[in-house]
Amino acid sequence: MEPAGAIADTLTSPLVDYQTHPDRYKHYKASYDGPVATLRIDIDEDAGIRPGYKLKLNSYDLGVDIELYDAIQRIRFEHPEVRTVVLTSAKDRVFCSGANIFMLGKSSHAWKVNFCKFTNETRNGLEDSSRHSGLKFIAACNGTTAGGGYEVALACDEIILIDDSSSAVSLPEVPLLGVLPGTGGLTRVTDKRKVRHDLADIFCTTTEGVRGVRAREWRLVDAVVKPSEFAGYVQQRAVQMAAKSDRPQDARGITLAPLKRAIDDNGYHYEYVDVEIDSASRRATLTVKAPAKAQPDDIQGILAAGANWWPLQTGRELDDAILMLRTNHLDVGIWLLKTQGDADQVLAADATLAKHKNHWLVRETIGLLRRTLARLEVSSRTLIALIEPGSAFAGTLLELALAADRTYMLDLPDDPGTAPKLVLSELNFGAYPRVDGVSRVESRFYGETEPVGKARSAIGRKLSAQDAAALGLITAALDDIDWNDEIRIVLEERASMSPDALTGMEANLRFGVTETMETRVFGRLSAWQNWIFIRPNAVGETGALKVFGTGTKAKFNWERV
Amino acid sequence: MSTDINYSEKIPNNVNLAEDRTLQRALEHWQPGFISWWKDMGPEGSLDYDVYLRTAVSVEPNGWAQFGHVKMPDYRWGIFLTPGQPDAKIGFGEHKGEPVWQEVPGEHRANLRRIIVTQGDTEPASVEQQRHLGLTCPSLYDLRNLFQVNVEEGRHLWAMVYLLHRHFGRDGREEAEALLTRRSGDSDNPRILGAFNEKTPDWLSLFMFTYFTDRDGKYQLCALAESGFEPLARTTKFMLTEEAHHMFVGESGVSRVIQRTCQVMNELKTDEPAKVRAAGAIDLPTIQRYLNFHYSVTIDLFGADQSSNAATFYTSGLKGRFEETRRSDDHVLKSETYRLLNIIDGRLVEHEAPMLNALNEVLRDDYIKDSVGGVERWNKVIDKAGVAFRLKVPHKAFHRKIGTLSEFRVSPDGRVISETEWTANVTGWLPTAEDRAFVASLMGRVVEPGKFANWIAPPAVGVNRQPLNFEYVRFN
Amino acid sequence: MAAAAPSAEFSRQHLIDPEVCIRCNTCEATCPIHAITHDSRNYVVDFAICNACNACLSPCPTGAIDHWRQVLKSTAYTLDEQLSWDSLPPPIELEPGSQAEVPSEIRELTEIATAGQGGPASPPWSADHSYVNLYSLAKPAIATVAGNYRLTAEGASADIRHIVLDFGNTVFPVLEGQTLGIVPPGLDRNGRLHFVRLYSVASPRDGERPGYNNVALTIKRVTADHEGKPAIGVGSNYMCDLAIGDQLKVVGPYGASFLMPNHPGSSLMMICTGTGSAPMRAMTERRRRRRALEEAGELLLFFGARAEEELPYFGPLMKLPKEFIDINFAFSRAPNQPRKYVQDRIRERAEKVVQMLRDENCYVYLCGLKGMEEGVIDAFRAVCHEHGQNWDELKPELLAKSRLHIETY
Repeated sequence: MEPAGAIADTLTSPLVDYQTHPDRYKHYKASYDGPVATLRIDIDEDAGIRPGYKLKLNSYDLGVDIELYDAIQRIRFEHPEVRTVVLTSAKDRVFCSGANIFMLGKSSHAWKVNFCKFTNETRNGLEDSSRHSGLKFIAACNGTTAGGGYEVALACDEIILIDDSSSAVSLPEVPLLGVLPGTGGLTRVTDKRKVRHDLADIFCTTTEGVRGVRAREWRLVDAVVKPSEFAGYVQQRAVQMAAKSDRPQDARGITLAPLKRAIDDNGYHYEYVDVEIDSASRRATLTVKAPAKAQPDDIQGILAAGANWWPLQTGRELDDAILMLRTNHLDVGIWLLKTQGDADQVLAADATLAKHKNHWLVRETIGLLRRTLARLEVSSRTLIALIEPGSAFAGTLLELALAADRTYMLDLPDDPGTAPKLVLSELNFGAYPRVDGVSRVESRFYGETEPVGKARSAIGRKLSAQDAAALGLITAALDDIDWNDEIRIVLEERASMSPDALTGMEANLRFGVTETMETRVFGRLSAWQNWIFIRPNAVGETGALKVFGTGTKAKFNWERV
Repeated sequence: MSTDINYSEKIPNNVNLAEDRTLQRALEHWQPGFISWWKDMGPEGSLDYDVYLRTAVSVEPNGWAQFGHVKMPDYRWGIFLTPGQPDAKIGFGEHKGEPVWQEVPGEHRANLRRIIVTQGDTEPASVEQQRHLGLTCPSLYDLRNLFQVNVEEGRHLWAMVYLLHRHFGRDGREEAEALLTRRSGDSDNPRILGAFNEKTPDWLSLFMFTYFTDRDGKYQLCALAESGFEPLARTTKFMLTEEAHHMFVGESGVSRVIQRTCQVMNELKTDEPAKVRAAGAIDLPTIQRYLNFHYSVTIDLFGADQSSNAATFYTSGLKGRFEETRRSDDHVLKSETYRLLNIIDGRLVEHEAPMLNALNEVLRDDYIKDSVGGVERWNKVIDKAGVAFRLKVPHKAFHRKIGTLSEFRVSPDGRVISETEWTANVTGWLPTAEDRAFVASLMGRVVEPGKFANWIAPPAVGVNRQPLNFEYVRFN
Repeated sequence: MAAAAPSAEFSRQHLIDPEVCIRCNTCEATCPIHAITHDSRNYVVDFAICNACNACLSPCPTGAIDHWRQVLKSTAYTLDEQLSWDSLPPPIELEPGSQAEVPSEIRELTEIATAGQGGPASPPWSADHSYVNLYSLAKPAIATVAGNYRLTAEGASADIRHIVLDFGNTVFPVLEGQTLGIVPPGLDRNGRLHFVRLYSVASPRDGERPGYNNVALTIKRVTADHEGKPAIGVGSNYMCDLAIGDQLKVVGPYGASFLMPNHPGSSLMMICTGTGSAPMRAMTERRRRRRALEEAGELLLFFGARAEEELPYFGPLMKLPKEFIDINFAFSRAPNQPRKYVQDRIRERAEKVVQMLRDENCYVYLCGLKGMEEGVIDAFRAVCHEHGQNWDELKPELLAKSRLHIETY
């Protein structure tokens, strides 16, 4: 069912790289005016990340979204004075028409899924910044706002639609393409916009969408504004929203210098993060290192360190490593999570983060770490943390172990000096909620007060494998005799199982009890979408996605399943 | 983890136990558990006996059969693997031609563990089943043979536990513990396989069991000896040399019972069971019924006639066929078929099934051929005595509890029959309570050196060329 | 099978008794060179492959494996023949090899040697089957001298030699206690062929060197006749002068009586003088090689010579551990010592000797000069009397059970 010559043939195609810079943007233009930044979507139809399709009508692909992600990140760190981001189009009569359908038609299943995952994370990131950092977003829909275009608007705090009697918002995926709006559209229409479900049903099955007053009445947009008043209204709302933000007025940003990253046959090598790929075993080892030297503990020092400040640099490196692995190494199904270095340095950095958490840069750094760690759990990879001598699973870095599907810790009862320790810090109890909004410790114990309380009272203690096992913080404490064989067998066994079933199982087990809009996007919406994406009704020779634009009508198998 | 145990002295082995901390640690916990199991569940009242036992101290031809009087709890249960072949290759399945595995491939861990645990569970089970038989032994010679079988079943348990300890980490240790806690016939915590929860109430049953059921062990071990997991293959190969003795006890035991019966028949010039019984021997029809029972129960042990597990075990290189290397097919079997029996409209018919799914049946049929051979040798004893009677193994479909054939009633001669006909004739086909009571009534205890119970003939030669009146067991 | 053609080569063929075999496959699995195979009827040994390494013997649970037949190489039983058997075929005598066929001069020698026990007797019940008379004067086996060492000290009056003969590819199976015959080349003073000289084999059945097809002999250079007059022994001097590489004609083997028991727990009492030590050395060596099996009973040795220097194998004997063999030397010409004979030592060890004479599993061997026989028997009588046992009642019992073996010359 995969199209021949699928564009995401990562073995033969060049690596997808998530590192970019405004100087190299092809699709976005950013401008700054005091507290208001404007991001103009101006997609170069000939600059797709893979050949074979044209990005017409401001339709996007992964390359476009990498720029959006970079642009937002830079606003967060390089422009602390910005309080409102206006997302609008530089093109006439079209705001954004969503993901490019020809690109989707030509993509492998894996490429589509990974692409949707990343775009979802970026859209969730807008909401995360709105929720935590006082950064507000306005979608100034100055033209047709269709599919993924409307979905990115839904991720903004406010949607302003131009009332030109032709521009509409729409989710035409179901009637037109035989798939779902896959980047949160269905979820946000109900959960966030509270559009009544029967109206939403009409909206989602209407190719041409809804415009004008009805769009506002159905709550699909916040305002509809005549073309002549549009710019003024947008500006006015932007300033009004900025007034409520607590982003600093006079702060100067830091520069997100390019990451120092070496790529070789073995993997990716950064200063604090190292990725070692074992292709034969289909495993990658992600090692995150504690700072080698003391990090600044005051604001001045942090600002001076800028992007080299250990928490920020580590967060960026880890973020990039996860994205590279996810996109470029589909068959590397197991990520071994390790840490290395002096746990005390990590704890010291944690103390600084906690102490200055209200400072904009610290707040943004915690936010970046939060979103990066959250990426781990929504990655379709088995995560296994190995806690060995010389590791630094403390505080922020302990989150890696807590995020893992399984955590094995070496137990050396006869050699407590060498035995690895893990340490909880205050940051493990709320600084880094997962996409379900719950801290990893709390989620581990389903919010039950006793085990969470016991863990909390262990904050700062160096916990041996036995202690950690008693507190329920690790899967198993293995002694040195068992270690090698147990780990080998766990990994070999895991590597032999169906990757699809593992992805489904892991996603189910990682997220229990609590639902948020994000978990619904990743769990319910994406899961259904991923199923639909492989069904003949979408991608078969006569499937809707496949025949789109050819003039041929899709032929469906009418069985409801 | 320091310890004072001199491992190679106490536990003869060729697995470098003295330097293997994983094993040492595991055995430190398990070995006392095993001894305590032996004291609780080993041969009843035997702890103090000096038994003339064969002990393996190495796998060399002159090292594995050392004879001497030993107290059974002091028996040196050892760990032996036949020497490995350099560059050995997997001989079948989809890994055929690849180097054999020295470590458990993680992918097959669960299946291998299941195979090993199932095999391992039968070893202590049969010791438990046989633990009261010493009280009714027909001679010191037989008592010694029983104990030899028992200690070697114990050693086979060690062999399987070695694999669990050495290759299956914590799970392996837990499974090894569980092997000591299950109990044959305990409805709350039974042994895994049905036949190993049955009673072995008398010596005729023991002989039938060691002939038929230990032969199942032989076939299972032979299939495992082909395994791509080399430690398993090497362990089971060595176990086979010991299993042979158990089958010898069975084959010669039944043979001696038959010999004695024929002798009595000739002396009394009768073939009437009642008269034979009155003379204290076991009549041939009763022997036939015991045979029917043990044969049919044992062939059930090979499992269902079509099994996806068997196919998986084969394809993944875990368990081969009997004499895999002597077979001339492609050893992958994807396109091979095998003829299976079914019953349609009251008639036995053959149908073809993919051989991979029929591997249980393949092994069962190999077993059947082998079993029939021994029964023919028993018939020679009857012939030699000039008695007109032939023992026969019943039809494969007779008295089955597992597989397609278990849904039907089939007579020993292979006719599909009604429930009514079955009920009317079953007492002629399977041992009745009265048969068992009669056999039990013969079971006195004979322990004077050189003397044998009336219902069994002495063997042709003693153990290790010792005279028959040798004191094979000293009771102290 | 046809009778052996005059030029035929003999061989031992390894067979499995199909009546006893339970088809357990252990032998086949054990055989290091894949000489054993089977079909649905029988397990069989391939004559062309089997090298008689015996690795299959102890794993066999039934003993069916331990069968051997002397055959002509050219007409050995084929695999097909073996696969068709229900039982082993009766053994076929290659040459009608009963004692009657043993050359008369050999028979006479044997009768003289065994006169002390009333002529040739049965071997112990657990003795292995011995092959006799495989090679005759008409067609002797050819052996090559592989070694010739002086056993006695240089200055000693007796020149006793240890001679190793290698049979190459020729089958020459011997058991400890058997003898072989040598015919010195050339003619005697009367222009006739020399008569056969019999020598006891001094090495165990698996060879002087284990696994080699060789035997050792213990030969004393005869320089005086029985009365002490100077005389050159034709046979002994021929033998003692052999050089390594020389070839010689050998006949035999002979002897089906003076054989050792093999059953576990069996003990040996060995009494010898001079070169009478040859069979004792063979038996001792056999037991020594199997010591690890811990199957044997005790060994008690009485060994007489003129002096230490004249005692063959004195050095190696002294190295054997006491718990393995209980050695009692008697020297009749040791300087500054009273003359001691083996019978004196037997008297000194009365208690042990009587205990062993009473032991059903103890077998007694006497070998040496005729002269010692009477003294030893007298000593037995005396020690028995001392311990309330009647030798004259015991002796027939010993003979009946093949527990007393005497060979003197």
